[in-house]
Amino acid sequence: MSLRRKWSLSLVLFLLAAACKDKGAQAPGPGGGAANAGGAVFGAAISITGAAASYGAQQRAGIQAAVDEVNSGGQAKVSVIVEDDASTKEQGITVFQKLINRDKVSAIIGPTLSNTASAADPLAQQAKVPVLAISNTAATGITDIGNYIWRDSLTEAQVIPGAFKKAQEKLHFKTAGVLYGNDDVFTKAGYDVMQKALQDLGVKVLGTQTFAKPDRDYNAQLTELTAAKPDVLVVSALADNASAIVAQARQRGWTGPILGGNGFNSPAFIKNAGGAAEGVMVGTSWNSLSQEPANQKFLAAMKKAGVNPDQFSAQAYTGVIILAEAIKQSGGKTGREDIEAGLAKIKDLDTPLGKFSFTPGRDAQHEPSVQQVKDGKFQLVQ
Amino acid sequence: MGQQVLNGIFLGSIYALFAVGYTLVFGVLDILNLAHQAVFMLAAFIALALVADAHLSLWVALPAAVLAGGLIGIVLERLAFRPLRGRADSNISGLISSLAVATVFEAIALEIFGPDISRFPQGTFPDRVIHLGSATASLLQLCIVGISVVLMAALTFLLARTRLGRQIRAVAESPRAARILGVNIDRAIALAFFLSSALGGAAGVLFGLAFNSISPDVGRGVELKGLAVIILGGMGSIPGAVIAGFALGLVEVFTVAHLGSSFRDVVSFAVLFFVLIARPRGLLGRAAAREA
Amino acid sequence: MGDLLLAYQSLFAFVGINALLALSVYATLCCGQLSLANAGFMAIGAYTGALITLRAPAVPFIAVLAAAAVAPAVIAVPLGLPVLRLRGVFLAIATVGFGEVVRLFFVNWDYTNGAMGLVAIPQRTSLWTIALALAVTLYVLGRLRGSRFGYALEAIHEDETAARTMGIYTTGHKLAMLVLGAAIAGLAGGLEAHFTFMVAPNGYGFGRVVEMLVQAVVGGTVAFYGPVVGAAFLTVLPEVLREVGARMGLAPGPFRLLLNGAILLAVILYLPNGLVSLPAVLRRRVRRPA
Repeated sequence: MSLRRKWSLSLVLFLLAAACKDKGAQAPGPGGGAANAGGAVFGAAISITGAAASYGAQQRAGIQAAVDEVNSGGQAKVSVIVEDDASTKEQGITVFQKLINRDKVSAIIGPTLSNTASAADPLAQQAKVPVLAISNTAATGITDIGNYIWRDSLTEAQVIPGAFKKAQEKLHFKTAGVLYGNDDVFTKAGYDVMQKALQDLGVKVLGTQTFAKPDRDYNAQLTELTAAKPDVLVVSALADNASAIVAQARQRGWTGPILGGNGFNSPAFIKNAGGAAEGVMVGTSWNSLSQEPANQKFLAAMKKAGVNPDQFSAQAYTGVIILAEAIKQSGGKTGREDIEAGLAKIKDLDTPLGKFSFTPGRDAQHEPSVQQVKDGKFQLVQ
Repeated sequence: MGQQVLNGIFLGSIYALFAVGYTLVFGVLDILNLAHQAVFMLAAFIALALVADAHLSLWVALPAAVLAGGLIGIVLERLAFRPLRGRADSNISGLISSLAVATVFEAIALEIFGPDISRFPQGTFPDRVIHLGSATASLLQLCIVGISVVLMAALTFLLARTRLGRQIRAVAESPRAARILGVNIDRAIALAFFLSSALGGAAGVLFGLAFNSISPDVGRGVELKGLAVIILGGMGSIPGAVIAGFALGLVEVFTVAHLGSSFRDVVSFAVLFFVLIARPRGLLGRAAAREA
Repeated sequence: MGDLLLAYQSLFAFVGINALLALSVYATLCCGQLSLANAGFMAIGAYTGALITLRAPAVPFIAVLAAAAVAPAVIAVPLGLPVLRLRGVFLAIATVGFGEVVRLFFVNWDYTNGAMGLVAIPQRTSLWTIALALAVTLYVLGRLRGSRFGYALEAIHEDETAARTMGIYTTGHKLAMLVLGAAIAGLAGGLEAHFTFMVAPNGYGFGRVVEMLVQAVVGGTVAFYGPVVGAAFLTVLPEVLREVGARMGLAPGPFRLLLNGAILLAVILYLPNGLVSLPAVLRRRVRRPA
């Protein structure tokens, strides 16, 4: 028996070695904890493993690209300590306390998930460390925690109503069938806004169905929804679910328009849904087609990094750009209070998201856009 | 209505295929193998790599991935289960060791394939819709139901009629008696794991094809439902798992149709709960009381 | 130094909370019952406590915690009566079903904001509240050992049928431990809700209860303090690995997950009686060559 145990142990060690070696080859990330000599040190708590890992990967790429961008510009030197919160609120809290008390960062970017933010942000508020949320879209429980919590991600309430209005002008729909993920903050928050937006536009909802995040089969829900023959299908889903929902709806014979939320705005959506994505209309906080120099710079940086960008990397990138601007606004000082004061002064900053300002409630303020999939690409709806 | 029945059968065939492999190991060892979902996931990724990167036909990639799933199962057995054999608490420690291996598998997949959702390239399987009366199904869906039924029938035949199958069943009945009868227990159990994981792998590939979504945590979504199915079906009962798989698929679909989708999982787990209360050994569980 | 303590004080808190949760699983495990309803019990405790604090801020914290412990305990009685007739994995899965139904209830309940959960819960839990709760729980479980009741539990653990023929009221004993476990899990839920500022249904899924079970077994169920050791080890491990990774210059990534799994596997294979048996195992190793 002991021989077999040794055998199994050596296999484990082999697997470990294999994986670690692989990792070591591409280690030079923003992580590691070693801060640049001089300059501002920020922390980022994002989900690199666990349920939200796919967003964390985008965010890490965005942050890295922005750090390189800022440092090559020569105005401010910044470095970001990236830590993995494993998509849990416990590790989110632990990471925040480490960043605040041990690494003494000037500000924190993240965390990826809204639930984690409601748990960890209050600690930063208590310690008076500015937090810049880059992907939290829950309407409550984020920036209302206190005056040190900021965000650059538009809430669904800022994107959906306008997008739906524009969509109605184009498509003249009067009835809708609604499908949303009810066990996820992002999609549930999106649904709440969609429901209200539809009501305000006088659209009659013929049916509402839900799914859970791990689901991959939506045929039963779609059969019910399409049987009611609504004018339009409204879907609040993350990119993971969105592509399968759209593909299955088309397979069910649904040829009508589909309106999506923020979560649809990802190249992965088009890639995974294929031809079924044609005609899908989404309201989005990041216009990937924008010809503005800031966006073109971002796109070029992501292309260099070999990452197909989505709104999560765009918002993460913007987060670092905003913090660098805050340093500039406070005259190059990098203390926590300096960053806080600098953030308050930011107005009409050029970012990949467009001209960026904060609302008085420290939420993001920039122009959302409406896009439609045509010929396998997102196109701007004017 | 007819459409929903089709939807239920399709969903049920995925559950059933996931569950028959699962229940085979459960029946032999009395151990819940929490790494089954990880094998499911790895096999799907292997098939994807063969199709997308090595440009092989799906009809080569599918058997290759199924074989790879079976081999991973043998590794899994060596790593997580064989060292525990004979230990009094092997059912709980086996649960944990398999969970540990599942974590390792998931980390490896995360490292190699990344966290994003991947899919088979467009056109891997012909995209054709078939009309059955007022209902529609895709050719792929029908193939999946067909492949599931064939694989499940093959497993049943293998267990019932072949010498190896009889050895596995003998070990399931009583390891001690099997040893006295000259059965090589280690080999029989390794074989059970091979079959179980191969079926799990097949389920993973078909799942990835059907839903165009393969990610390191893809198995998590089916794990709990698969668990419900094997318990509902009865300990180690292959026909039980098949019936329970289809039953769960239909229950879910009809809950969506009549009660609303928010109640779907509540109803599934409530049904599980009450079936267990009424029939503590599942629908087709053996009556002989064996303490798990 | 003070800052370092501050940097890891939440880690200490989570060790304590996880220890309570592992003990709640141990409560039923020590009479041979694998009940996995505890994530559901924890959710009930957490939501009960949070709702009281948010709607009636004047209620003293001790009363809030008492309610968080009592609510799941009350629900455990009608749950336990039918369910405890089941054995082994059947009990485990039936209770997993219960836990999922509780989670889905909170997902669908608009009053508690569904998936978004309750936020902005005042932080009323401090490190010493957790320490006190843990001490009381350990005292209760420790006193059970060696008592008449404790011997009855051990007898049920060894052989339930024999215990019953000896005249032990097995159902009552098992139910008592299920209720005790529910109360401990509810207490832990209440403490956590008032430490992390929020509760949401996603924190109480299948994964959470598996985590509790793993911590209890890895620590060792031969001793009543084993689950505490297991919880401490497995809660601190990811943070140690984070540090190791940083020292090695690795970017944060899956290696932490990988090592976590590998170490868990090593412990379960090489220490059959859990971490608490480590000193004895080492002593034997040292003695042998000498």
